Amino acid sequence: MNQKEFLATVLPYKDKLYRVAKRLLVSSEEAEDAVQEVFLKLWKGKERIKNYKSSEAFAVTMTKNYCLDRLKSKQAGNLKIVHSNFQHSDNLQRTVEANDGVQLVFKIMETLPEKQRLVLQLRDVEQFDFNEISEMLEMNETAIRVTLSRARKAVREQLLKQYNYGIS
Amino acid sequence: MELAKIESLLERYFEGNTSLYEEQELRSFFSEGTVPTHLAVYKPIFMSFEMAGEETLSKEINLPSPQKRSNYWKLGIAASLLVCLGIAGYMFSNSGLSLEEQEALAAFKKTQETMLMFSQNFNQGTASLTHLGELENGISSLQVLNEFNESKNLILK
Repeated sequence: MNQKEFLATVLPYKDKLYRVAKRLLVSSEEAEDAVQEVFLKLWKGKERIKNYKSSEAFAVTMTKNYCLDRLKSKQAGNLKIVHSNFQHSDNLQRTVEANDGVQLVFKIMETLPEKQRLVLQLRDVEQFDFNEISEMLEMNETAIRVTLSRARKAVREQLLKQYNYGIS
Repeated sequence: MELAKIESLLERYFEGNTSLYEEQELRSFFSEGTVPTHLAVYKPIFMSFEMAGEETLSKEINLPSPQKRSNYWKLGIAASLLVCLGIAGYMFSNSGLSLEEQEALAAFKKTQETMLMFSQNFNQGTASLTHLGELENGISSLQVLNEFNESKNLILK
């Protein structure tokens, strides 16, 4: 596999990998570095890509493992940088209101355990189906559904709590 | 879409039992503005997922360029060849003698020359000594004078 073919295979995933990395590492700079590192690793182990059912799942697994290692070695605490630059606009008033809620959801997601964050990211943001996620995270489907349900409920619960505080 | 359906979808959603298609239905329902107040709390959840999916990597991916590496490889061979040639040329030009040996040879030649000059001068010196032989001749001829004296004394007696 030469470099051109390699890039044609893996470059389409770069944004997905970046978002997964950012969901785990929070800081966008850390996430950029992570994607760069993962691409280098993929390039070095390019012969192994063929052995996987889907090269996309392989790339996601690698990203996940790399980020979890990073978090372990950095003891997580130093990495918590709140990031909030999303560009969206139609009805300004509505966007502002909604953005408050959206920002809140992003903050809530940062507080979730890593596994819940990953499942939520892969299912609700990237919209992979369950057997793909099960290959990526090396978990069975039932475990994934359970984790996903916990993550979604946790987001709802904390959001409701925040809203009630806001009202009362 | 009827509210009842959305409500039941939501219920299943939180249990992790909705399909990708059903989740898409939920997302489009909550992005369409007209959300009843009792469901408004779910709006930011689905909106944030949508927004989170729009982020892109702004940095370029850098991979080691294979073209460059092969050039370095050629350059390395050329450089080592050049070094080998240089060493070989140096060795042959000195006909196998090391610097020390060459110096020794030069010193030897110089000494030889000096010795030769010395011996030549010495020979010149000895050549001038042949005049001494003539002095001896003179002295021997003076002995004739002695004889003359002797015979003169005889006569005077």
